Amino acid sequence: MNAKKEKFHKHILEIKDVAKTCDHISGQLKEIVFKNLSRRGAVIGISGGIDSSVSLALTVNALGAENVLGLMLPEKDSSPESLDLAQKLADKFGIRTQIEDISGALNGFGCYTRRDEAIRRVFEEYDPTVYKMKIGIKQNPLKHSLPPAFSVTIVDPEGNEKSKLLPVKEYLQIVAASNFKQRSRMTMLYYHAEKNYYAVIGTPNKHEVQQGFFVKHGDGGADVMPIASLYKTQVYQLARHLGIPEEIIKRTPTSDTYSAEQTQEEFFFQLPFELMDLIWYGWENGYDAGEVASALGKPEEEIRNVYKNFHRKKETTAYLRKQPVVIQPD
Amino acid sequence: MEQHEISEKIREYIKAASFSSIDNLDDDLLIFKEGILDSMGLISLFSFLEENFSIQITDADLVEENFESIKAITNFVSERQK
Repeated sequence: MNAKKEKFHKHILEIKDVAKTCDHISGQLKEIVFKNLSRRGAVIGISGGIDSSVSLALTVNALGAENVLGLMLPEKDSSPESLDLAQKLADKFGIRTQIEDISGALNGFGCYTRRDEAIRRVFEEYDPTVYKMKIGIKQNPLKHSLPPAFSVTIVDPEGNEKSKLLPVKEYLQIVAASNFKQRSRMTMLYYHAEKNYYAVIGTPNKHEVQQGFFVKHGDGGADVMPIASLYKTQVYQLARHLGIPEEIIKRTPTSDTYSAEQTQEEFFFQLPFELMDLIWYGWENGYDAGEVASALGKPEEEIRNVYKNFHRKKETTAYLRKQPVVIQPD
Repeated sequence: MEQHEISEKIREYIKAASFSSIDNLDDDLLIFKEGILDSMGLISLFSFLEENFSIQITDADLVEENFESIKAITNFVSERQK
């Protein structure tokens, strides 16, 4: 089988016939939503990001614009740009939209107060009314193979940044509190889905699912995930073919979860997606680190480090991808 | 605290914190490369070291040379306590 394997090269992930791939996904979506799930249409959360935009376009092609509802789900830390771009996308594809601000629900859950309480245990001076904050991984996975550790960064009103490694208790509390955001969005998506007898479309790409960059029962809660087997570079290929607005294609992927601006690379992935895609493909398909290194012009040791990082992320996040475990009667 | 006391304390902690069953946890065993501890294990280890040895760990300390094995961690802690 190995003898037939294509030699690794920089363009190995390029989809040759994008139109065919789009038609395949939309055909499957139509079948799944209308037949397997027996729903009349679909609801999708749109954030102005590339993944939700491509998922929306594929869903419209599959079900027709009249059967798709786009929900914008901002909260007080969301960038206003997200709402503008999501509306532009909805206008382009002619779907109905609704804005549901989830800040009130998040206040009710204590999302912000629980998160801020943990941050203040690290930085006493942190005042959420004037400071901004974010958490992220600062290590470079190409250079060493220690597991990732998260740091918290606060930004004062003058723009000065302070950063510290997060102790385990504070890290867990910040993540648990922040995850109310994705879970509240999921709850609202299902409200509209049930009200309309629709299915919920999930929008994660392959990396988000496989590396565990999603919230269990949050953005990981959906009925169908049309792009979950696509690499990020492939999502961009589809975006161009589907006519996604240029501002969305050019926008740097952000987490849009914390008040300070932050890219997805800074928050979690630690690598530019073009490079990450290729190394992941190499790792997942059993390519020798040396072959990938020479095709990408990188030292072999760096590729080995990233392979380890991928292996570790996939293992440690397996719990997120698991369905509830049913204990069988004896 | 003597070096061997530090390393024993660290060894006991890692044994208790690891999900894998380890009989021999040598000083030179590469605890992350061998999967003895994962990412949650690493940040829990930082909290353990800060609380038990009264040291501070920063982003700049996050290199393999400081944490790859019990020997490396012991040297790192001893240096910090000087």
